[in-house]
Amino acid sequence: MILTILSVILIVSGLVFFFGAAVGLMRFPDFYSRMHAAGKGDTLSTLLVISGFALYQFRDIHDFSHDWPVLLVVLKLLAIVVFIYLTSPTSTSALADAGWEDGIDPVIEPGRENHLEDDCHRTPPSSPQP
Amino acid sequence: MKAKIFASIAVAITGAVLLYAVTDFPNFGDPRSPANAGVEGGSPSASLYYIENTYRDTKVPNLVTAILADYRGYDTLFETVVIFTAGMAIFAILRVLRNENAPSAPSPDPEASNRTIDGDHHRIIVGITCRIAVPLVQIFALYVVAHGHHSPGGGFQGGVMLGASFILIALSGSLRDALARFSEASYIRLASIGILIYAGVAFLPLVFGRNFVDYGALKGLLGTDGEEMARSHGIFGVELGVAFTVMSIMFAIFANLSTRGRLKGGL
Repeated sequence: MILTILSVILIVSGLVFFFGAAVGLMRFPDFYSRMHAAGKGDTLSTLLVISGFALYQFRDIHDFSHDWPVLLVVLKLLAIVVFIYLTSPTSTSALADAGWEDGIDPVIEPGRENHLEDDCHRTPPSSPQP
Repeated sequence: MKAKIFASIAVAITGAVLLYAVTDFPNFGDPRSPANAGVEGGSPSASLYYIENTYRDTKVPNLVTAILADYRGYDTLFETVVIFTAGMAIFAILRVLRNENAPSAPSPDPEASNRTIDGDHHRIIVGITCRIAVPLVQIFALYVVAHGHHSPGGGFQGGVMLGASFILIALSGSLRDALARFSEASYIRLASIGILIYAGVAFLPLVFGRNFVDYGALKGLLGTDGEEMARSHGIFGVELGVAFTVMSIMFAIFANLSTRGRLKGGL
């Protein structure tokens, strides 16, 4: 019973984060903030939902010597969790890096501090490549 | 320009012939089509035969694998040859073998070819993660190849994953890193060896006086209890050949397309 409640809490909170990611993807103003919403929300919500699935599987283990194959399913789900934990933030980073190299400017409110021109690593998008 | 016109005409004629052939297909779900109703009345339908007898004939729980590699092994052999031919066509069209250092060719950026994961701070995150991910991807790919008997998977899927793991090395570091691990000579050799493994496993039953791709004849050679297990092992041998070919051709196509056949610089 406790396992069921815990897993439902995990899955529902994962769905909440998923919803936040979807809303952020639609509503945020520029490339980087949209990707921030999609990348972070997607990673955390997927981790939560799949961890919830893994906990839910534990309910099926009554007698370990007989039910041990269920443990394999749990291990596979945990392997997915580890793999997403590694790869999803990396792909977000690679995408942001590609956008930056491609010359996409973040939207900055007028009146705020703007350091875009100070960044010496950045090639200005308008100037032609030598 | 003229070549383009001829190519367009050839494409149009081929497309028209293919469209004409489509009209000869039986309707979707037609109960009287050959697959569903058997050949010329009387005999039981082919699909029903597969569903009822696959496990008894081959001891392979996954129906799709058994049909793909055993009942229709001849078809799959030539599917693998098609993939091999596609890779060789890409190689023949794109690969630039002469004038490696000619001044007319755009000189490769010296920094790009010397770039390593540790030297370029932009690539540290991606590079380190790919170092961790690539072995996991390859182990999972081998699992998919070997586990095709019991779950969805097999040579094609596992081979694509193996090829993708090498493409990941090329994307995260440089193509040079990937080519150092899987050189041009080895991928062309391995693609041919894959076909040879498939054709060899399929040819062996002929030596024992049975039909092509009738792996049951390998019972004595493999030392199995019955012909069923021999068929199961034969299917595994065939899948291994498919995996080798698909892996090599995937990587060959990527390497040639991303560098326009020069195998230098690249993405």
